[in-house]
Amino acid sequence: MNFFPHFLNAWSGLVAAGITVPALILLYFLKLRRREMPVSSTLLWKKAVQDLQVNAPFQRLRKNLLLFLQLLLLAALLLALARPILNYTPGAGPRTIILIDHSASMSADDMPGGRTRLDEAKQEAKNLVSTLGRDGAAMVIAFDDSAQTLAPFTSDQRVLKNVIDSIQPTDRRSKLESAYQLANAQAAFTAGDSQSFRAAPDVYLYSDGRVLDGDRVSVQGNLHYQQLGSQTTGNIAIVAMSAKRDYQQPTQVQVFARLANFGPEPVTDVQVQLSVDGKVRSSGKVNLLPERYTDDQRRAAIAGGFEERNGVEFPMLDLTDSAIVTVQQMNTDGDHLAADDAASVVVPPPKILSVLLVSEGNWFLEQGLRSQRLQVFDTMRPQEYHDLSDANNGGKKLPKPYDVIVFDRMNDLDAKEVPTSGAAIYFGCVPPGLEIKTALDAYGRPVICDDNWVLDWDRDHPILRYLNLAKLYAAHAYKLLPTMNSQVLVDGTNCPLVVLHRQDRAFHLIVPFDIINSSWPLQPTFPVFLYQTLQFMALGTDMDIRPTYAPGVAIRIPRFDLQKLGTVPDTVTVNGPMGAMTVKVPPTGDFVLPSLDRVGIYHTDPPIPQYENIAVSLLDANESNLLPAPLAPGAGGEIAPSGQTKSRLELWWWLAAAAIPLLMIEWWVYTRRVHL
Amino acid sequence: MSIGTVPTNAKDLLLEPSFMARLDQLDIMSRKLLAGKLKGERRSKRRGQSVEFADYRDYVVGDDLRFIDWNIYARLDRLFLKLFLEEEDLSLFILADVSKSCDYGTPNKAMYIKKVAAALGYIGLVNYNRVHIVGVADGIAAETGALRGRGRVGQMIDFVSKLAPAGPSNFADSCRKFALTHRQKGVCVVLSDFFVKEGFEHGLRYVAGGRYDLFCVQVLSPQEIEPDLTGDLKLKDIEDDDMAEVSITQPLIAQYKKNLNAYCLSLKEYLRRRGGTYLFSSTAVPFDTLVLNYLRERGLLG
Repeated sequence: MNFFPHFLNAWSGLVAAGITVPALILLYFLKLRRREMPVSSTLLWKKAVQDLQVNAPFQRLRKNLLLFLQLLLLAALLLALARPILNYTPGAGPRTIILIDHSASMSADDMPGGRTRLDEAKQEAKNLVSTLGRDGAAMVIAFDDSAQTLAPFTSDQRVLKNVIDSIQPTDRRSKLESAYQLANAQAAFTAGDSQSFRAAPDVYLYSDGRVLDGDRVSVQGNLHYQQLGSQTTGNIAIVAMSAKRDYQQPTQVQVFARLANFGPEPVTDVQVQLSVDGKVRSSGKVNLLPERYTDDQRRAAIAGGFEERNGVEFPMLDLTDSAIVTVQQMNTDGDHLAADDAASVVVPPPKILSVLLVSEGNWFLEQGLRSQRLQVFDTMRPQEYHDLSDANNGGKKLPKPYDVIVFDRMNDLDAKEVPTSGAAIYFGCVPPGLEIKTALDAYGRPVICDDNWVLDWDRDHPILRYLNLAKLYAAHAYKLLPTMNSQVLVDGTNCPLVVLHRQDRAFHLIVPFDIINSSWPLQPTFPVFLYQTLQFMALGTDMDIRPTYAPGVAIRIPRFDLQKLGTVPDTVTVNGPMGAMTVKVPPTGDFVLPSLDRVGIYHTDPPIPQYENIAVSLLDANESNLLPAPLAPGAGGEIAPSGQTKSRLELWWWLAAAAIPLLMIEWWVYTRRVHL
Repeated sequence: MSIGTVPTNAKDLLLEPSFMARLDQLDIMSRKLLAGKLKGERRSKRRGQSVEFADYRDYVVGDDLRFIDWNIYARLDRLFLKLFLEEEDLSLFILADVSKSCDYGTPNKAMYIKKVAAALGYIGLVNYNRVHIVGVADGIAAETGALRGRGRVGQMIDFVSKLAPAGPSNFADSCRKFALTHRQKGVCVVLSDFFVKEGFEHGLRYVAGGRYDLFCVQVLSPQEIEPDLTGDLKLKDIEDDDMAEVSITQPLIAQYKKNLNAYCLSLKEYLRRRGGTYLFSSTAVPFDTLVLNYLRERGLLG
């Protein structure tokens, strides 16, 4: 509370003084000029005037009228001095941190006047900024699943309002962790020795409270949760979508979508369309119960005849080429969030592999590879492979191109025989001539580790996805020395057991132990590993159908994929819902696309293989749930419903303006008393 | 407080001969039997030698035997003395207000007062009364001293003519000085507008009751009785230059008249309680009407 008024409007005061003070003086000069008239005696005249005043109606009141007017005048001036304001709610303190959520759910247009929650948040934040005192300072942090300090602590209201206005909506998820970290960092910051800066800051959180990590975070300071959104906002969202090629018939794609109703009432016959490259191919209907229903309510609704159907399995699509598959729900009545009404995936063309196995004979490996659906599967003896190399005097000449070459226990492989492009898998051997080498003992012999168990593996890597390798045992394994270009996928108790190494334009997957002397061939993970490895090695980094990306993802494109263009371009332009974004390609290393914050389809120019089209979809039940969180996310705090932070209207000016006519009336009454 | 120059035709202005002839028939009447100084034509309280029988009283040794009623003695065999009323002269005091406030109005109040004073003085003189004319303003401005007999009429007219209104009024002081210096009894006529800011009571208490048979004639001009003022005015008191700022409105005029009426009534009531006689006159009333009718009706003249 600011007890010391300061002149916010000094010029207006000066102008008003310049007008009214001379006017008042002029009024005094304009006092009635009377004609002089001699009389024999003023005795009776004065008495008559007095009597008339005394006997005039409401004389007592008129006497007090002057007092009343003077009191009114004084009251007006004193009130003006106290700077009363209209619609006052406690304003910003000496140090205020404003957190504005601009995630996907904040784009819901359920605020009065069809405005979005973000618009409302920005307006309320600006109103809060207007209440900043002379010594107050505020900072602005915008957050979704990342956080950004838009304005450091400043008292400049204009700057703060400008940065608040500049906040743009995104379709990303909400996470408060980094926002709170930024706020805490600022809270710990004590600028100067001012007492007010040592006090805990006021943290104003403008959000609907739908954050993923609300129960795990906390903030230092007095948290004021400005809850935005309505309890009755309707939203039908696509919360899951998958598209898979059939293993047996790769041209057939199965698409499945699941929807959810976050509104207050059940909805029926919601039409869901499936389109391929913008052309509608099929549709389905769903009946959805509100997600907010309790189990009892749900059971009662179903018992009452409601036929719940929240998933759609579309008929098989025959896609022989690359395509963008989009699922869209068509019920837009009462739907307040558009970002989750559609979801897309990019389906690459089916790939059927050609594989060459170079081995003295390995039944398990042959069976494992034959079980894969391959276009070409050839086997070759090591000697034949050596001969092909010799025939070309150092150059390797294969009869036909293979996507993947599998070397089994090829310990006599020459450095020149190692493929310099494409993909190769090595079982029980280590390719010579690469950066990655085998550890050597004091006699120059490769170090072999015995009795290897799996210590850990990269569960998220496409090759090892869904695999449990905990029981894998390898009797003997070469000890590899991974380099910067190596990625250890499976780490054993003694040495790495599976390493992915990239060099030049080739992928090398090295399994440095003989599978025959391991437990792996007899485990179900082995054929799956082979399948995923072949897919990965052949297609690059992912499986047959690339998953849709979440908004905000910064896609990392391996340089290997850029090199497939022939010449690496200097810049890559990404066109999509966010407009055209041009990114400079670094001279070395992988290439990272800019953050794709809005849902939709993005295209790269020039088209980077496997990244020609990038689908970004929300597919997040938490973000689609528009029901405002009842509690402030993180460490309690007070909850203020939307619209509570009102701008304060300074009334002192009006009071001061009212005092001027009051003064004039008072003067008039005073002078009238003399000559009634 | 000064005596102005005498107009050449002052005598004619004050009293015309025809009017004087009509005045000859009048005499000053007193409701009281007052003791005079000299033998005159008035009955006195005193018993004395005159033709008018007053009373009987028992004879006591030493009484003048010439006044014993021998007829009574013959019938009753007791001695009674016959008493006769004494006849003496009458003192007439005329207090004329010559303060500045009387120099106002059309016809002028001061001139009106002077005319009344001259007429009364004339009546007093022709009836062998002792006439004192006193000009009062801020104290006693001028006075004639005792005048008696028709032969003093000219002197009296001259004196009255020279009275000119001037200066402020101190009615109380004037009355006090008059009462101190004129201790014989008589008829006292006060001619004034009685606009006394400190209150007429302070002055009249010296002359009301007691020695004097008091007559007060309040003379006001028509402009004072029916003010014809309009607009926003600064009223200036011609006597003491006091100012009053007024905006003339109908209610104000009504209030003024009401106050004037109340003021006159209060004066009348004051005099009534003290045995005095009040007479109101506007200067618009012809002077002869006042003297020949109103004063006679009030019993001052007979």
